[in-house]
Amino acid sequence: MAALQEKKSCSQRMEEFQRYCWNPDTGQMLGRTLSRWVWISLYYVAFYVVMTGIFALCIYTLMCTLDPYTPDYQDQLKSPGVTLRPDVYGEKGLDISYNVSDNRTWVDLVNTLHNFLAGYSPTSQEDNVNCTSEKYFFQDVFGAPNHTKFSCKFMADMLQNCSGLTDPNFGFAEGKPCFIIKMNRIVNFLPSNSTAPRADCTFLDQHKDDRPLQVEYYPPNGTFSLHYFPYYGKKAQPHYSNPLVAAKLLNVPRNTEVLIVCKILADYVTFDNPHDPYEGKVEFKLTIQQ
Amino acid sequence: MGKKTLEIYSVELSGTKDVEQTDKEDGKERYRGLKNCFHSKKDHHTEKLKKELDLDDHKLSIKELEKKYGTNIITGLSSTQAAELLAQNGPNALTPPKETPEIIKFLKQMVGGFSILLWIGAILCWIAYGIQYSMNKSSSLDDVYLGCVLALVVILTGIFAYYQEAKSTNIMSTFNKMIPQQAFVIRDSEKKTIPAEQLVVGDIVEIKGGDRVPADIRLLSAQGCKVDNSSLTGESEPQARSSEFTHDSLLETKNIAFYSTTCLEGTATGMVINTGDRTIIGQIASLASGVGNEKTPIAIEIEHFVHIVAGVAVSIGILFFIIAVSLKYQVLDAIIFLIGIIVANVPEGLLATVTVTLSLTAKRMAKKNCLVKNLEAVETLGSTSIICSDKTGTLTQNRMTVAHLWFDNQIFIADTSEDHSNQVFDQSSGTWASLSKIITLCNRAEFKPGQESVPIMKRIVVGDASETALLKFSEVILGDVMEIRKRNHKVAEIPFNSTNKFQLSIHKTDDPNDKRFLMVMKGAPERILEKCSTIMVNGQEQPLDKSTAEAFHTAYMELGGLGERVLGFCHLYLPADEFPETYTFDVDAINFPTSNLCFVGLLSMIDPPRSTVPDAVTKCRSAGIKVIMVTGDHPITAKAIAKSVGIISANSETVEDIAKRLHIAVEQVNKRDAKAAVVTGAELKDMSPEQLDELLTNYSEIVFARTSPQQKLIIVEGCQRQNAVVAVTGDGVNDSPALKKADIGIAMGIAGSDAAKNAADMVLLDDNFASIVTGVEEGRLIFDNLKKTIAYTLTKNIAELCPFLIYIIVGLPLPIGTITILFIDLGTDIIPSIALAYEKAESDIMNRKPRHKKKDRLVNEQLAIYSYLHIGLIQAVGGFVVYFTVYAQEGFKPNILINLRVEWEDSNVNDLEDSYGQQWTWYQRKYLEWTGYTAFFVGIMVQQIADLIIRKTRRNSIFQQGLFRNKVIWVGIASQIIIALILSYGLGSITALNFTMLRPQYWFVAVPYAILIWVYDEVRKLFIRLYPGSWWEKNMYY
Repeated sequence: MAALQEKKSCSQRMEEFQRYCWNPDTGQMLGRTLSRWVWISLYYVAFYVVMTGIFALCIYTLMCTLDPYTPDYQDQLKSPGVTLRPDVYGEKGLDISYNVSDNRTWVDLVNTLHNFLAGYSPTSQEDNVNCTSEKYFFQDVFGAPNHTKFSCKFMADMLQNCSGLTDPNFGFAEGKPCFIIKMNRIVNFLPSNSTAPRADCTFLDQHKDDRPLQVEYYPPNGTFSLHYFPYYGKKAQPHYSNPLVAAKLLNVPRNTEVLIVCKILADYVTFDNPHDPYEGKVEFKLTIQQ
Repeated sequence: MGKKTLEIYSVELSGTKDVEQTDKEDGKERYRGLKNCFHSKKDHHTEKLKKELDLDDHKLSIKELEKKYGTNIITGLSSTQAAELLAQNGPNALTPPKETPEIIKFLKQMVGGFSILLWIGAILCWIAYGIQYSMNKSSSLDDVYLGCVLALVVILTGIFAYYQEAKSTNIMSTFNKMIPQQAFVIRDSEKKTIPAEQLVVGDIVEIKGGDRVPADIRLLSAQGCKVDNSSLTGESEPQARSSEFTHDSLLETKNIAFYSTTCLEGTATGMVINTGDRTIIGQIASLASGVGNEKTPIAIEIEHFVHIVAGVAVSIGILFFIIAVSLKYQVLDAIIFLIGIIVANVPEGLLATVTVTLSLTAKRMAKKNCLVKNLEAVETLGSTSIICSDKTGTLTQNRMTVAHLWFDNQIFIADTSEDHSNQVFDQSSGTWASLSKIITLCNRAEFKPGQESVPIMKRIVVGDASETALLKFSEVILGDVMEIRKRNHKVAEIPFNSTNKFQLSIHKTDDPNDKRFLMVMKGAPERILEKCSTIMVNGQEQPLDKSTAEAFHTAYMELGGLGERVLGFCHLYLPADEFPETYTFDVDAINFPTSNLCFVGLLSMIDPPRSTVPDAVTKCRSAGIKVIMVTGDHPITAKAIAKSVGIISANSETVEDIAKRLHIAVEQVNKRDAKAAVVTGAELKDMSPEQLDELLTNYSEIVFARTSPQQKLIIVEGCQRQNAVVAVTGDGVNDSPALKKADIGIAMGIAGSDAAKNAADMVLLDDNFASIVTGVEEGRLIFDNLKKTIAYTLTKNIAELCPFLIYIIVGLPLPIGTITILFIDLGTDIIPSIALAYEKAESDIMNRKPRHKKKDRLVNEQLAIYSYLHIGLIQAVGGFVVYFTVYAQEGFKPNILINLRVEWEDSNVNDLEDSYGQQWTWYQRKYLEWTGYTAFFVGIMVQQIADLIIRKTRRNSIFQQGLFRNKVIWVGIASQIIIALILSYGLGSITALNFTMLRPQYWFVAVPYAILIWVYDEVRKLFIRLYPGSWWEKNMYY
């Protein structure tokens, strides 16, 4: 099976390549004459313009079919995620450690909380209404200005000792730190049937002989009032702010790392998804040194 | 004299390149006979050793021989001597052709083709993990898994390819079969039987009829010894052997018997002069293995294709690596992108698919009597542009058959078809009665008993070829010949011999009233005529006058001119008074008259062409394949057969024909007028390579006659110099170099020797030329279908690649994962791409020229561009539409996705907001991302169905081709859908595979794009058909 492969020398190859780039006999560059290049380019321009057009049309149609207020599906959002402030992440998840006697170790944590609660100041909440019903705040019509729906106020001062107003250090200085627990927003999500969902923080690795974690919750009982639900989406409730619960940990042992989990207890909030550590609960490591 | 012969039979140890050089230096030298060009890779260029063969053994006297080999012809060697020599020279066996060790073959599969790219990908994965690990002990193992999957893919496809190759090569028979088992040897003055492998030079051996010659032997004495040298020289006539030195040439002298030839009759004693690889046949065998096995055309095409794809993969990979780095991505991320791009670009399953496709075709060809040894040869046959075919057995039926009769001054045509059924000539004449009697009686051939149920033409006959022909001819016409012979009892007989040139027998007749003996005679017509004084016309004896003699000569010349073997027949009723019933005939003293006989008729025989061959030759011609006949036969016979099968077409003439027609000298004829040429081996010997080239280019119809098997190699090389892909048929051992040298060597399954089968790429099980043509058809079809398969497979690469590019540049969440891509390449796409191998030809593929091996590439620019930039792009767009649909309906509208990548992938962001203000944890997003993968996967799969359908044809509309003719395509489509369903709904819960259960409606989002692909391709084909040769066809036809 010979004669199929002729070895070409390097100079021959170069020469062939040069000839390919510019062939003076036929006036071809890269295998085509200039006019051919223009034609083929025009064809491709036209082809891609048409394809872009079709794509744009498809996306446009898609956007037209979408409901501006509610997503079509919430397959992944069966149960809300839970986040914690301050949020300092270590190698695996939230990992918060500070030294009580060294305020440099916790000033950043405190600042995080202050910044976070800035969104709950009276000025930022002034567009929202006061709610006291403790029941679901259903709104079938767009009663608020600009064709929106009302959102309930959540003020930082509702967190009392953990509002940063009475104690600007959020208890970090005395080793009884405040942690703010936030539930993710899900459009039209109702957490439970009648009772308000409640945050509950415990030691994750609770030993029998240890004392259980003592927590002071704000608002009292650590409840998320039902009148913050349901959430009608960004377009309907542009000023909506998530309700918060602050947990002031009172008896964190010093100089040891403890694992704490804060769960949301509600009928429709699950916290047993093995894949998702932030669904319905938040776990964090805490080390307070003295 | 000695010196000259030495030069001719010298053996060169050099590479083929040196041989080609010597060719140019002294072109003529090469054609002078057997010149063995040994190929030894070690000594490639530098060492050019000239080693002498022991050539003069046939010239030496017995005394000199005894001295030379230290032996004694009476006592033989002593056992100790023999043991020493055995230790020194090794056993008397041919070294089997060197086989590549299995492990090397296996490793080759592991690193060949795309494997190396995937290995790089896998290693990069592990390196990436290593770096990640060193920075962050808890980094995820995803990269390790991906690396393992890639490595697994390479290993699995490697094992598969290796298995396929091993399966196809196990047909290989080895030389071992040719070795005679036992030899009868004189050692220590005793006759012993020893295994032939233990023979050494100087042994005295005895051979008898039926034995295989155990080594190269110089005969010391012989009694009626005849050998069959066909395995060596291709000549099938038995050759007499004696102890006399008759020819300078070792090959032609009568006192040498060659290793592996068969002794047909008689006995002989001889001295072993060469053993094992040093025998003539051993040298030819090693010559055959020395002719390098170059790459097949399809291997070159696949390599070309791999280069293109690898080039695209690597250059896009590096380009985007640079882009990623300059976009301030981390180098580690950039490496991950690089892996993704490589995986997306490499069609992992394709090489395995090609192997399967080829072996499917090989199976199909085996059903049509073409056994393919080397899978890639399947396609080579399709690109064949010249077939150098044997005559005997391949083009012809390989049996002498009565073709013409001449009696009563008239030529009659006999039926020569395979079954002889239709003998229509006039059988009423009295002359025929006499002639048929002679044919029946003057014949020594007999049917082997116990074949009554076998058709006459298939019965086995003991006797030579002509007598067999006559026997069968008379059996067909007259019925039970044996019974007729019994009734006409034979009383005396003189068998045919070359000095008499006739055969005679005397019989009692079956007529009870006629007490005369009948003497019947047949032989060379001119000798028979000499013995006759009368001639029978219409059953009456007439004196043989000048005009009847003239008529005889005209008929004789005419039949001879047809290339037929002519025999004359005559008879004589011996007068009862001189030869009474009790008369004893003495065949040695010849006490009976052998002249003044009565001439009865002529009968001519030929080995007729197979009935399917003319058709096949016509097919070859319309397919642009040149058929060259190469035969050892006489030029006239060769030309006659060539004409009757159409190798020389009816209206074309050779130079000699023109000269004869115009009554001018051959030299005066304008050579351009002749289309056909008949070239004899002797003429070929005197040709320079340039002259041969000229001959091959100028004549479209060429017959080489009286050629030696060695010259076949020269012819093949000449054809290859014309840039032709050459197929060569052969059966003898001496054909094996030519078979190896040819682009595709075709050995005869029935007549072929093991060596020929070993050297060939393909074995014709029925020895029929027509099977080659069906093979060509299959080969061409597979080339077209491979093109379709590759086009199909390449298309989706763009749809797999674009997500990565968009991901890097625009920062969308990754639309399709690397593992998912592997599931397309090795999952849904495998069966459909094999299904394309079952596609029927679009038009008559036998009506176009063979592909030009340099211009008509398997993967050409048009194919790549159309697949990548047209259909591939549509697929990518379709995939993105599905992707965006899924994300938008779950809450992430396209605008928010842009540049979301960093936050999206940050596992510490667990409240990422979507377009509706909802907040997502990392895992919730990840799950959506996998849904996106699944959606994109389904999008590609749906569009690949359309791609599969459009790839059925390249020019014709799908509706012309028929949507449902290829059922396997539908199996392929079904498999695609089922695999996708299983992946999504069955394995959707296994997180490692990154598949999720997709909402049913998303399966249909890409359907409009699938329809668009179909419509676009139909439009493309329509314009190609409407405007052939236009700009459109040049750019869009692949």
